[in-house]
Parts: sequence; structure tokens; C-alpha cells
Amino acid sequence: MERRQFLVGAAALASVGLGTQAAQAQTSDSRARIVIAGAGAAGLALASRLRRAMPNATITIIDAKKEHHFQPGFTLVGAGVWSPAQVTERNVDYMPRGVEWVEAAVAEFDPEANAVVTTTGQRIDYDFLMVATGLKLNYEAIEGMDVSLIGENGIASIYAGPEQARASAAAIDRFIDTGGVGLFGRPAGEMKCAGAPLKITFITDDKARSKTRRGAVELIYNAHNPAVFSVAAVNDKVTDMFAGRDIAVNYSHVLKAIDPGAKQATYATDSGDITLDYDFIHVVPPMRAPDAVLASPLPWQDGALAADGWIEADRATLRHPRYPNVFAVGDIAGVPRGKTAASVKWQVPVVVDNLVAETAGRAPQAVYNGYTSCPMVTGIGKAMLIEFDYDGNLIPSFPFIDPLKELWVSWLIEEKGLLGAYRAMLRGRA
Amino acid sequence: MSDFDLTTIYFILAESMGMWLWALAGLAVVLGIGIIAGIMRLRTAGRPAKRPATAALIAGGVATAIFIFLVPVWTSTSAGALAAPVDYLFAVLFALVPGSMVGALVFFLAANRCAAKHRSILKSA
Repeated sequence: MERRQFLVGAAALASVGLGTQAAQAQTSDSRARIVIAGAGAAGLALASRLRRAMPNATITIIDAKKEHHFQPGFTLVGAGVWSPAQVTERNVDYMPRGVEWVEAAVAEFDPEANAVVTTTGQRIDYDFLMVATGLKLNYEAIEGMDVSLIGENGIASIYAGPEQARASAAAIDRFIDTGGVGLFGRPAGEMKCAGAPLKITFITDDKARSKTRRGAVELIYNAHNPAVFSVAAVNDKVTDMFAGRDIAVNYSHVLKAIDPGAKQATYATDSGDITLDYDFIHVVPPMRAPDAVLASPLPWQDGALAADGWIEADRATLRHPRYPNVFAVGDIAGVPRGKTAASVKWQVPVVVDNLVAETAGRAPQAVYNGYTSCPMVTGIGKAMLIEFDYDGNLIPSFPFIDPLKELWVSWLIEEKGLLGAYRAMLRGRA
Repeated sequence: MSDFDLTTIYFILAESMGMWLWALAGLAVVLGIGIIAGIMRLRTAGRPAKRPATAALIAGGVATAIFIFLVPVWTSTSAGALAAPVDYLFAVLFALVPGSMVGALVFFLAANRCAAKHRSILKSA
């Protein structure tokens, strides 16, 4: 901490002394050592913006993963519209020049000593730490479930990866051809892209109708609580749409076990466990912090976000309250909502602007309002472009798009616009 | 929409379209030059631009009308997906890209033909 405070103080003095505060409004000459844990959407976007805004800083990004997945596109792969290749890229293509990439995972966070240790045993000291590790898909928490089952015996799950999303698309098509009962739902805890379970339900319904097989399939959505979506206006709209499309809803049903051989799923409910037969099931795994984060002092110590290890963070600045030189960005951040690429797009500039301001001796002022977005695909060729903040207020970016109306133009943004915007975000340009 | 400034839009387009953005920009420049060349040839020949312009508008309009219904196919769906006025508005805007290119090409060809025809009439007279 001493070195960080020295750097901040020195930068402040230099800024005042040279009278360059105005000229350095968006950059900092700080020579701080910045470590970014994770090269996903948040990690790469942070690296790109920090590299330009802090040209003298030493920036290190740590991630063993070489492939980069455009996860918002997994729904379209699961719909059979896109191929896995369309959502698979290489991290190296987005790694900014002048950023050192340590190709290992973080094995240990030691915020007391301002250091991380990688899986290869390398210890890396930092002045500022950006935790952008993403999260862990905890399929094992569902008894009887395993990633290798996806695509077999009527089991689908678009979350596990591009190939699993493709296998899910095939499973949906087989289900529609053979008919029967299809189960959908979501886990009880925080999750990334909370709209995806609804989207895949709508897509299955739409594809069944296109094949004139809707009468042969019974679709049931198992909501984890008394609502299908956390934003009231969206919940009302989706509930109406489900009713209009003959999609049944069970409330307060959380998947806890699956028997692939018998094709039975067991749900925890308010009145005890119940078992449902299925011919098709879309499994959304419980999600939690990666092991290294979970084992560190960084997560919330109590409250709703503590159990799954989400990192304690101020919801407006994403700064750790106990370790002020640590920030959590993206899925790992312990803030309400905010586990989407759209959230990352708004979180990263806030964190970077504030760090740049702080190291340049100015007061950090940027605030994250909880913006997140869910292009709710409701069929092939139509979607609702839903954007909202921490308080559940709908905050549409485009005044000409009604967020609660099924529109082709919203589908156009999902199918043609988001990937380019995502790539521009990775390069720190959007 | 405050964060959608021109620079951001450029980077999003560049990342979305890759080399196609520059191919399209190059084609637009070539067609622009073609329109200017056509106007200059008409002026040199002392001919009005009315007939080539009319032909270009008709061809461009027809091409735009056709592409309005092809744009949804480009987005992996069908023309039936167009549901609201805003859908049609954006389909028209996208269809105007190939439509205006067809119109520019037709203007260039019609202007050249018109000018050449006038010159051959003058020669034979």
C-alpha cells in the first residue's frame, strides 16, 4: 500500500507543480504497476483503455486461456443461427501492445501483500489490481449433471461453450421433431446474462411453431423465485408473452438434480423437492467465483453475495472497500445485476477514468449506474432491446426503439451489431 | 445514445465489417467519381441531366424496394420479421446502400450514353 500511496502522492504533486492538470484530463503519467487478472471481455477492455490512458504504467494481464469467446453470441449458436466459429476468436488478437501477457491463471490473491501468485508459481506485485476473472459455471452443483452430457438424452445448455451451444441447438431440433415435455429454468443465485434462459425458451417455442410442431411439445419454464425476470416491467411483459404462447410457468423451482437415464429432473420448491419427467431440458448451471477468488479475502464476508464468492465492491465505483487498490470488473464483481458484456462496456470506462484521475492527482468522479442490457430474443428475427440500471429503471439507448416491443430492428442489433461493438470494446474504442 | 459519437461508430463498423468497410468505401468513391464524370460529360455535350437522373432514380428505387425485403434475409430471418414502422425504416435505410449504388451506376452509364448519342448526332449532322 505504501508504494501505491507514494505513487498517487507523487503524481498529485507533479500535476500541481507543473500545472498540467487540465492538459492531462484523460491521461496519467503514473508509473504504477497494474495487474489485470483475467483476459476476458473486462480484462482486455481494461488493458486497452489503461494502455492508452496510462502510457508509463506497467500493465500485466494474467490468463491461461488463449481462445476468446463472444459469449453474447452463444444464444444464437444455440438457436442454430450462428456457428461456433462466429463466436470464437483469439485473445492474442486483442492484446494491446505494451501489455505483458502472463499465460497462466491466478492461483492466489494476496491483497495484504499487494501480490498475486500464478499457477506456474510466479509472484507478481502490483500497485493496483483489477480482478476480471469471470466466473465459474458450477454444473457439478446439480447432482447427476456433467458438461459431457450436453447434447445427449435431451440435455441442452448453451452456457458451457460454443460446441455445447451447437449441441444444444441439435438437441432442440430433435426435441421438436420427436415431441414431449421441455423444461427450462435458471439457478437461484447471481448469473451471467439472466435473459438467456428466457431467450432459449422463446426460441424453442418459435422453432416449434415454424415447423408446425408446437402442438407436439409442452414447454415449462421453472422460475427460481416468484418472478421470471427481476425488472418488474419486463417480468410483466414476459409473463404475458409466455401465457400467450402457451408456455407454462412454475415459480420457485430450482433445479437440484438430474437423472439423464430416466429423464427426470428434481427441483427444490417451497413445498419440498418435486421430480418432473422431461424429454428435453435446458440446464443453466449455478454460478460462483473461481476457486482462487473464493479462497481469497476479496469476496463479500456476509450478505447475499457472500456465499458464491462475488468480490466485495462499491456499486458505483467497483472499488474494493477493504482493499482500495483493488477493483472488480465484469462477472466477478459483487454488485447487483451487471453480469453481461453490456455491463462491462459501462464498467470499464468508470474504473479506468477514476484510476487515471486518482493517479493524476484529481478526484475520481466517474460513477457506474448499474447499466446492463439484454437483447431478449423472442424468436428468430425478433427481439426486445431491454436496457436497465441498478434500480430496474428501463434506460433505452435508442429513443426510437420501444424496449418492450418485439422488433426486427432489435434483432438486427443483436445479430449484426453486437459483435462489432464487442470487438471495439475489447480494443477500448467503444 | 450519447456514447455513440462518430469515432465510436467508425470503430464499431470497422470491427463489424473488416475489409468490407474499405471495399464499400472504395466502391462509393468510384461511383461518386462516376457521377461527377457523367455530369461533366453531359455538360460538355450540352445535354440536360434529366433523363439519366430519372433513369437512376427509377433503377435505384427498384433496387431499394427489392433489397428492403432482402435485408432481413441478410440477418438470418425472412421479410416476415418486419413488423413495426421502425423495422421498415431501418430496412429502407440499409436497402438504400445497394439501391444508391445501383442508381449511381445507372446514372453514370445513362449519362455517358446520352452524351455519346448527342455527339454522334452532331457528327452525322
